[in-house]
Amino acid sequence: MDWAAVLGIAAVLVIMVRYEWPQLKPQMKREKTAFAVLTAVGGALALLLVFYPEMPGPTQGLDALYKPLVKWMDHFTEKRSG
Amino acid sequence: MIEKGKISASQMGKMLYLAILPTAALTTPAITFKFAKQDLWISPIWALCGLIVIFVSLRLHRMYPGLNIVQACERIVGRFPGKIIGFIFPLFYLYFNGIIVREYSEFVVGAFLIRTPLIVVSGSIVLVCAIAARGGVEIVGRFSELILPAFITFFLLIVVPIIPDLQVTNMLPIMPEGIRPSIEGAIVLQTWFSEFLTASFLLPFVADQKKSQKSVYISLLAVILTLIVSNLVTLLLLGELTGNYTYPFLIVARYINLADFITHLESLYMAIWVLGAFVKICVFFYVTVLGAAQWMNLSDYRPIVFPLGLLLILFSMWVAPNFQELTHAIATSVTLAIITLFVIIPGLLFCIAWVKRRLWIKS
Repeated sequence: MDWAAVLGIAAVLVIMVRYEWPQLKPQMKREKTAFAVLTAVGGALALLLVFYPEMPGPTQGLDALYKPLVKWMDHFTEKRSG
Repeated sequence: MIEKGKISASQMGKMLYLAILPTAALTTPAITFKFAKQDLWISPIWALCGLIVIFVSLRLHRMYPGLNIVQACERIVGRFPGKIIGFIFPLFYLYFNGIIVREYSEFVVGAFLIRTPLIVVSGSIVLVCAIAARGGVEIVGRFSELILPAFITFFLLIVVPIIPDLQVTNMLPIMPEGIRPSIEGAIVLQTWFSEFLTASFLLPFVADQKKSQKSVYISLLAVILTLIVSNLVTLLLLGELTGNYTYPFLIVARYINLADFITHLESLYMAIWVLGAFVKICVFFYVTVLGAAQWMNLSDYRPIVFPLGLLLILFSMWVAPNFQELTHAIATSVTLAIITLFVIIPGLLFCIAWVKRRLWIKS
């Protein structure tokens, strides 16, 4: 199953590159770099999510950032609805 | 200027309306009800964040014409802090859009396409939105102009047939504990009202600038009115049960039964949801792409549309392991984050810009 997902991701990446790359003109260096970097980041993140689905995500980051306030809001919600 | 397209002021208003309302009308009643109880319908009136955000984005655009908030930020606080904020904004838009895509696909899978994998639903809507966003702001604007009449018709088709079944006693007593519960219920709604900051990214493309102010305020008013109507209908039909459902408005649509002939109107609800979510995801995705392209100083935003679309799908998977945690996050940390980023930071920027301008005039 995992390997099927990897194949799917590879197919999406190949289609994206085959479609977009010929449309980029040779002098568009910045755009080429941006496209390559973003595609690489996307591919890497996709692979990570396939093999480590439990990886902490951005929501956990926000939770950690606003921890005291989130606790206070939870407490508050319980008081109101309970 | 990366984008050469122009939109009209009314198109911008329609885009904002459709970019904010759908998820607000369809998912907030359950959260708001926890706090506000039978004052559910009063909560949308406290649109304080919406007013602040609209005021700030309009005034900033008047001070720095043709620049959106990220570009104006570079002028106000300097290049380096501006670049940091310019990085955070598209990233947060991407993350927030991930939440929207997730909500959309969870709803479609949960209520209609039960045996379809989540990724198929989210992947197809992102692909469609990426193609639309690649067409530019004009295409997104025209789509919203095209979709708005259908959206309103379907909305009325759900609301009007239900009127005979409404029980006015469900909303009584009005404000038994004073004004406070309705304000508490409005806290989560501030997330949606803060989304009006998107206006700042669209204002530079408006052709008839004089009408833009009126159009944005009308859009805010329309969002408030529609929310009041939808919350009122939900409340009057379901009463105390409103809090028990994840999508109370869907129950309203299912309830409609005219002469045993017109039934199962939830397909209309589905149509509203798909049309609305399409414009919403499109507008937010467009802002992400535009912000990212400006941050990297690209001459064209089109090459990065599809890579960012892939990232959007991944974020929609990544934001939360399941729907319960997602709803909890929306009611707590996401609300806080969006208020910080969309209300407090632009507010501070506006204050700095205002003081700077005053000092500059004096000297």
